[in-house]
Amino acid sequence: MATLAETIPVPRSEPAISAGKLQVRRLVVAHVWVAIAAFAVACLLGVWQMWARSPLEAPAHTAANYFRSVTMHGVSMAYVLTTFFIMGFGYFTAETALKRPVPGLWLAWGAFWLGIAGVLMAALAIISGNASVLFTFYPPLTATVWFYVGLVLVVVASWVWCLIMIFAMQAWKSANPGQAVPLVMFATVANAVMWLWTTVGVATELLFQVIPAALGLNGMVDVGLSRTLFSWTLHAIVYFWLFPSYIAFYTMFPRAAGGRLYSDTMGRLAFILFIIYSLPVGLHHLLMDPEHSNGFKYLQTFLTALVSVPTLLTIFTITASAEVAGRMRGGTGTFGWIKTLPWGRPMVLATGLAFLMLFWGGGGGLINMSYGMNAMVHNTSWVTAHFHLIFGGTVVIMYFAIAYVMWPTLTGRSFPSMRPLNVQLWLWFIGMMVMTLPWHWTGLQGQWRRIAAFDYSNPLIASWGPWVIVSLIGGIILAVSALLFVWNLVTLHRSSSPRFAVVEVPYAEAVHPPGRLPASLNGFGLWNVIVAVLMLLAYGYPIAQFFIDPPPQAVVHRLH
Amino acid sequence: MAEHPPSDQTPAGAPAEQAAVDRHWRRLALAAVGVAVAVGGLLGFVIIPAGQREHSHLSMDAAMRRAAGLEAGSPAHPQPPAAINSLPVSQVSWDPAIMQRLAAGNTARGAELAGQVCAACHGETGLSVTSAIPSLAGQTSYAIYKQLHDFRTGARVQPDMTAVAQSLAVGDLASIAAYYAAASQQYAALGMRDLSGETEIVRVAWEGDTRRRIPACMSCHTNGVGGPIETPALLGQNREYMAAQLNAYASGARKNDVYGRMRDISRRLTPHEREQLARYFQGTL
Repeated sequence: MATLAETIPVPRSEPAISAGKLQVRRLVVAHVWVAIAAFAVACLLGVWQMWARSPLEAPAHTAANYFRSVTMHGVSMAYVLTTFFIMGFGYFTAETALKRPVPGLWLAWGAFWLGIAGVLMAALAIISGNASVLFTFYPPLTATVWFYVGLVLVVVASWVWCLIMIFAMQAWKSANPGQAVPLVMFATVANAVMWLWTTVGVATELLFQVIPAALGLNGMVDVGLSRTLFSWTLHAIVYFWLFPSYIAFYTMFPRAAGGRLYSDTMGRLAFILFIIYSLPVGLHHLLMDPEHSNGFKYLQTFLTALVSVPTLLTIFTITASAEVAGRMRGGTGTFGWIKTLPWGRPMVLATGLAFLMLFWGGGGGLINMSYGMNAMVHNTSWVTAHFHLIFGGTVVIMYFAIAYVMWPTLTGRSFPSMRPLNVQLWLWFIGMMVMTLPWHWTGLQGQWRRIAAFDYSNPLIASWGPWVIVSLIGGIILAVSALLFVWNLVTLHRSSSPRFAVVEVPYAEAVHPPGRLPASLNGFGLWNVIVAVLMLLAYGYPIAQFFIDPPPQAVVHRLH
Repeated sequence: MAEHPPSDQTPAGAPAEQAAVDRHWRRLALAAVGVAVAVGGLLGFVIIPAGQREHSHLSMDAAMRRAAGLEAGSPAHPQPPAAINSLPVSQVSWDPAIMQRLAAGNTARGAELAGQVCAACHGETGLSVTSAIPSLAGQTSYAIYKQLHDFRTGARVQPDMTAVAQSLAVGDLASIAAYYAAASQQYAALGMRDLSGETEIVRVAWEGDTRRRIPACMSCHTNGVGGPIETPALLGQNREYMAAQLNAYASGARKNDVYGRMRDISRRLTPHEREQLARYFQGTL
């Protein structure tokens, strides 16, 4: 078996991109390796954390070490892995989909090094024990200012990326008037546009509340306001992480499966709906908070429920695309087409496994967004298990598959065998299931989250012990899978197999390729206006109330 | 952002009839989002409050104002007061003003007052002169302030301490608490004492006794971990004082423990256990 490009018939109508000539090659490789390095460290820390939570004696297990480790794990996974991977993937799609040089490469490199500086600042702050505040920005607990400034630099780097993506699409549209922007680029820019909106909340919180508090400029902080601003970011950031997965579902999976995308328009609609319904919904993270009225909590929860629309659209469209492919490959009957899909291809396998995990994770999410049920699980490890399942199960497994698509293009070499790739994906799936399902279960039994140790001499807590040990085994499987992923990519870099000159990136074509599109499905002007109005309606008064009738503030608790 | 076509124009280069399609899409999108917001708003701000109104005995207007966040507080009717005489056990509230006062505690003023008023019994650095008088060494400023404030308000009664606390201003109490917390930092080693006791007593201290619903002492009384911030440290405290306090809680003579936690626990301990726990926590140097 060779590369995806070779196993899949490629129409040669467009000029292919030469591997050696991909201008963003070094940029993409740099970004993705930073992401992977953070990911590998975080995976190993994760295993230790699960060990520390279990009845087995873990080395160096103190509360201080536990929270330091959890902070490092969360920051590495949620901010470093995602941001750098998404930036790298964006530069890759911009050049390969638009088939034009990415504008402002020097700026992109500047942003990369800015991000690296930020990561180092935050990492040193955490390692030194001055930032054990977890990856959430919830005052009055504050870390050293280096931690926050470091993360702000990472965000600023991502803003530069957003502007480059938007500008790249604009330039392409000027050069191709009236033409439909390729779906993969449309989606990438949708993510950039959403991210700019998303980061307004947390940036405001950091600049006006948290960083002054960390510097000692203010001794008091309005906790309700900061939690509200963080909630602005909190849900949409998950969709920022998730976007590459959906991009792969729509633009890579159908081709890898040997078929076509069932509907290009459905894809555009799904991405647009993600922009609209992932932003004015953050209050559902504050259902248990006292600072907001039930009416606004309800409105935002209602809008949250609408996020299921693009998700269901996607499940329908991708399943339909898979059925098209399966039937083209000779599948018959109601479910016979599933068997004929080429499950030996990493992108197909990853998409199938991601859908399975999304089913469980999405179900858990529906429970979390329901006020009454959330009240029961809110402070339990059910929530932790849920976001690990969504993040690891749908986000990260598709990052693996995307990396496996990008690497032959970036290195000019083919994977000698798909077997280690598929083994890695299966291990990830099995590990994620073995880790998170018992974790959900202990959460339902009341196992609380965000604590450093359990007293297993208590009979109630002792009954959770076996389940936590099962979760630990799942964690170990995940770590093995993570290391195998690193190994798979490294071997391709070090391979002595000859580079081939031309690698086409296998983006899927639609059954009906878009001809002329309404402007609304080819740009974001209208949607930005709608998001602005929705945010004003959903967050206007909830934020304004803190200024109309300022509540009592809390004393800042500095960790350093 | 990406594309801002003025209302009735199409992207450059697109044919003119495209404008009709674009307009159609814009209207459809606005209508769909508008309906979503209207339905959500109607449910959240009108229909659900209307449903809840009756159970909380609110007018429709008040119910809607509450849903919108224009009115605060709980509509629940106050419960009838409990039959027992619920004398406020403590009037300390850990609000920002007190936290700031303790954080800013003037230890120079505290040292001066401590020397004049406290040191005769509690020692210059918080090591008391007899076993019946508590040592302040190793306690946090919150723990010391809580007791001083309780003596001042009458939540806790001890003739000498009540007189002292009532003669001082609240700010001075905070300064004294801050002074002793700082002065006794060198005695952190108190926590390094050798603890030895009967197996049953050690188990109560570290694991509690679930059968009798006695939680582990150390689940709260460990510095910086677990319990409320005013929880005093036990390691190294004087045996005679601790035993007297456990007995006072058990008999109800002392009642400044919020929620009656220590009264509940002490009542469940046997007199022998109270004595042995006090001996265990004093430890030996």
